[in-house]
Amino acid sequence: MATFEETGPRHPVTESTRVDKVHPRARLAKNVRAIVVIIVAIMLLFPVFVMMMTAFKSRSDVVSIPPKLIFEPTLEGFVFLLTERSQLSGAALEEARANADELGIFGQVALRNGQRITGPSDFTIRLRNSVIIAFGATVASVTLGLFAAYAFSRFDVPGKGDLMFFILSGRMLPAVVVTIPIFLMYRQLGLHDTHAGMILIYTVFNLSLTVWLLKGFIDEIPREYEEAALVDGYSRFQAFYKIVVPQAATGIAATTVFSLIFVWNEYAFALMLTSQKARTAPPAIATMLGRGGIEWSAIAAGTLVFLVPVLVIIFALRKHLLRGVTFGAIRQ
Amino acid sequence: MTSTSATDTAVPPPTTGVQKHRALSDRAIINLFIWPTLIILIAFNVFPLFYSLFLSFTDYSAIAGRPPVWVGFDNFNRVLFSEDMWRAFTITGRYVLFSVALELVLGFALALLIREQFRGSGIVTTLILIPMMLSPVVVGLFWKLIYTPTFGYFNYLIGFRNPTVAPDWLASRFAGQPMPGLALWAVIIVDVWMWTPFIALLIYSGLRAIPDYLYEAAVIDRASSWFQFRRITLPQVMPLMLIAVLFRTIEAFTKSFDLVMGMTGGGPGGQTEVVAVKIYQQAFLGQFQTGRASAFAYMVLIIVIAISNLYIRNLNKMRED
Amino acid sequence: MKHTVGKYILGFLVLFLVVTLIACSGGSSQTTSPTATSGAAAPAATTAPETAPQSNVRELTIFWAQWDPADYLQELVKDYEAETGIKVNVIQEPWGSFGDVFFAEMAAQGTSYDMVIGDSQWLGQATTQGHYVNLTDFMNSENLTNSVTEATLTYYGEYPPGSGTYWAFPTEGDANGWAYRKDLFENPEEMAAFEEEYGYPLAPPTTMAQLMDIAKFFTRPEQGLYGSAIYTQADYDGLTMGFQNMLFSFGGDWSDANFNPEGVINSPESVAALEFYKELYECCQPPGMSNAFFAEVNDAFISGQAAMGMNYFAFFPALANPQVNPYAESTGYFVNPAGPSGDHFASLGGQGISIISYISPERQQAAREFIRWFGQNDIQAKWAALGGYSANREVLASDEFLAVAPFNAAFAETMQIVKDFYNIPVYGELLRVSQDEMGRYVVGGEGTAQQVLDAIAAKHAEILKDGGFLDQ
Repeated sequence: MATFEETGPRHPVTESTRVDKVHPRARLAKNVRAIVVIIVAIMLLFPVFVMMMTAFKSRSDVVSIPPKLIFEPTLEGFVFLLTERSQLSGAALEEARANADELGIFGQVALRNGQRITGPSDFTIRLRNSVIIAFGATVASVTLGLFAAYAFSRFDVPGKGDLMFFILSGRMLPAVVVTIPIFLMYRQLGLHDTHAGMILIYTVFNLSLTVWLLKGFIDEIPREYEEAALVDGYSRFQAFYKIVVPQAATGIAATTVFSLIFVWNEYAFALMLTSQKARTAPPAIATMLGRGGIEWSAIAAGTLVFLVPVLVIIFALRKHLLRGVTFGAIRQ
Repeated sequence: MTSTSATDTAVPPPTTGVQKHRALSDRAIINLFIWPTLIILIAFNVFPLFYSLFLSFTDYSAIAGRPPVWVGFDNFNRVLFSEDMWRAFTITGRYVLFSVALELVLGFALALLIREQFRGSGIVTTLILIPMMLSPVVVGLFWKLIYTPTFGYFNYLIGFRNPTVAPDWLASRFAGQPMPGLALWAVIIVDVWMWTPFIALLIYSGLRAIPDYLYEAAVIDRASSWFQFRRITLPQVMPLMLIAVLFRTIEAFTKSFDLVMGMTGGGPGGQTEVVAVKIYQQAFLGQFQTGRASAFAYMVLIIVIAISNLYIRNLNKMRED
Repeated sequence: MKHTVGKYILGFLVLFLVVTLIACSGGSSQTTSPTATSGAAAPAATTAPETAPQSNVRELTIFWAQWDPADYLQELVKDYEAETGIKVNVIQEPWGSFGDVFFAEMAAQGTSYDMVIGDSQWLGQATTQGHYVNLTDFMNSENLTNSVTEATLTYYGEYPPGSGTYWAFPTEGDANGWAYRKDLFENPEEMAAFEEEYGYPLAPPTTMAQLMDIAKFFTRPEQGLYGSAIYTQADYDGLTMGFQNMLFSFGGDWSDANFNPEGVINSPESVAALEFYKELYECCQPPGMSNAFFAEVNDAFISGQAAMGMNYFAFFPALANPQVNPYAESTGYFVNPAGPSGDHFASLGGQGISIISYISPERQQAAREFIRWFGQNDIQAKWAALGGYSANREVLASDEFLAVAPFNAAFAETMQIVKDFYNIPVYGELLRVSQDEMGRYVVGGEGTAQQVLDAIAAKHAEILKDGGFLDQ
């Protein structure tokens, strides 16, 4: 034992030997660092916390002075957001009050304002549109981007540099201005206010991002793997499909997340290119007007409901994401 | 940037007979893989780009229901010689400069903090990304609520309990007295809040890609930690930092309108009227001066391309070193 | 960056594409315009609706902003479906994009909507560009013109002003009024203190001078109380709408009858009005209200910060609702006060219903049938009972209407004195100028009222000249 200890390291190696890490109170420093990070995270998340509180506040609690941290939670915001209601009066109201026990929790909240729920709100339809369009556009832009990125990465495409710059150029004009030509074009093509049209336009705008990102990732994959596969009798397409795609999983995941965040929150196109059938949620959330003012709690509730799907996907893919943001810029 | 990557990844031309057969199918694959993307980009991306360039030389209004009439450089003259426009560019410049600088410094600090993993650091790192996942319109609207001196949280958090002697951020006032520039700072604070985690994440991934041996070598040379930071960490992270800055600069010019509209609407008295807001006001909001807005947008485009080229050139130079 | 032949080929392709697309759009607009003109000409041809009640139109769509009155309308039209079997859908678009979406749709000569309940300021643009069907004969023959108040017919329906040509039936009347806190105004101690200081009894103001006195009297930052909450929003039209309440009552105006703004919008009266507005903002506006419109004014009132609040009547139901406003029981309402020389006006809001000219004559006829139904006195009474702001004379004068809501009396009175901003096609540019310039002065604190209004006069004159309303 003694001899062994003398030849091996005196202490178990828990820290790297990089000098900027190693100092006498490394462990303490690490804890301090963790605490600082958590404090910073709390500060950054405070506005999100405010949003969560607001979602459960009544109208007068939202504007109480000073702002309240403790309040009586109410589901009014969610009721406003998710349901269509009609005002009751006189006998109908009395009758509804008498049968209040039969109502669900939303129904009871609505009844307190003298209202009856008549059905789900437009927001639920818009949420569904958002899911369809975001899913469609993300899948399409990542798939197309993957093909193109592979070809640009592996083959000597004529005029490659210019083509790559061309692909990027679409993002450089303020979106507000681009919407008008696209609007005119969509009217002509019958794509206005259709899911297909929205999927198409988001695919187009994300392609610059996906091609550039994915090319970076595919460049990093050693081409020897494919060469070996080709020698083994794989076709090009098989090599791409069975070798490159699995290798690029991290990059695909990261690209998916960035595409999704863009499509999910996009506002200007959604406003101008849709009216009823294909309208997504973002233009609706910010403009929720109720009885004489902004319905803060409904906006907050809408934002939270709208955040959940992205958050779930980001958590599912977070390992890839942290690695994936290199944008292929560093290739050691 | 584009041309370098074009040359360094080219496949050597095939030589043997077997490979010749494959080369044919390679071309098929190139076409199959690239053309779908190019076709929809040409159809849906190039058309708007060129059509709005055309419109910028006309008096077109999207709602007028009459064909565009060519007016030459009229729109560009108006933009170039209008005080309002220069004011908007100045405000945007200040906004970009301060927000990006702060995001870089704070993002770097945050990246250094999360560089070493601790238990749960993955979750914390993901959670701090929430701000950038929110819709900018809603973010603007909510911060307006948070900044309100009476029923907003912000002033209470930074220690102002009495609304009468506190900053009224979005009105550019402090204790009732005008304090020009405060509203722009309020916007910058929100921008920094929203995008610092993103920049931190970029720098973080750069930091993790630095090979350990560089630091080990530095230790052997007994280099100071400042020297290590300046000579190893910074140069290695620089390319990513530049890309982050490039992204943020482009977005500040082209996309910042939803955030600012939600928060201040360009006010008070135009103090936060960045170019994106100005273009939005011209292109919509009852005016619909599509031609003039397009001209303005093209000037922004030229600036953005100039800045992008500057960044990309620096990036390439750094790569060569 | 390398330049290659590929780039030029690409450039050529693009150019080709652009040219084709422009050609396409030009061609198709030519093919659609005949139907549009025939549609616009239709009203004269078909003036015998009784003979053809059985049309194939089974449903109609109405486009309106997203707010409570649109819900009330959706409720009201259930009766129409029960009577005629025609289903009416009210399509709601958020206020912020209502105009953008509508005019974009119209530019494309879209037929998505049969009718629109459009803003009063849109009239010039929508009629000169041919989006609306001329309703003059129809409204005259159906007695619809006589059923509504004169001011609403003028501002919501008539274009050009004074022409007797009507394009819309007044649907949702609206204007600015004021809400006040009765618990403060009727508090004996406050009343005594006020009379002591100002020499006349405390009551809802009837003149601008009184408004200022009362606003200053109730401004007590140490109690978190401020005299008045007014509009300051710069992005669309908030600030201009708020200022107009003072501008018109002070005897100022935007321009004379010949659209000449010089010497009118920068007249001493107009300057006094703007100085008054600025003073009200400086002395008595609750903190944080530098970008305030109807929502913020209501928020200030609900949170107990404002003794008086300027707002559209359409947003007062919130203040009368105890679930929303803790002071609902003690909230009173008054008409915008008169100015120093007795001029008495209020800034107009509100909308009229128009028929889109691009839909088929058959649908236009069905839409006309609907408007005729909607304009009947008993339907208007029900419209008012649901919460809509009828412009019907009888309804506005009826005791039921005056009693049904605490602000209805003030509303009925206000609708006699309303006045509006420009409604000519270039109103958007005119509005942008007034918003920018006044925002800089009132909220931004730059320059003087005279400078600002001189600048507005000059810029407005230029826009009006460009638009052909004012001689060069």
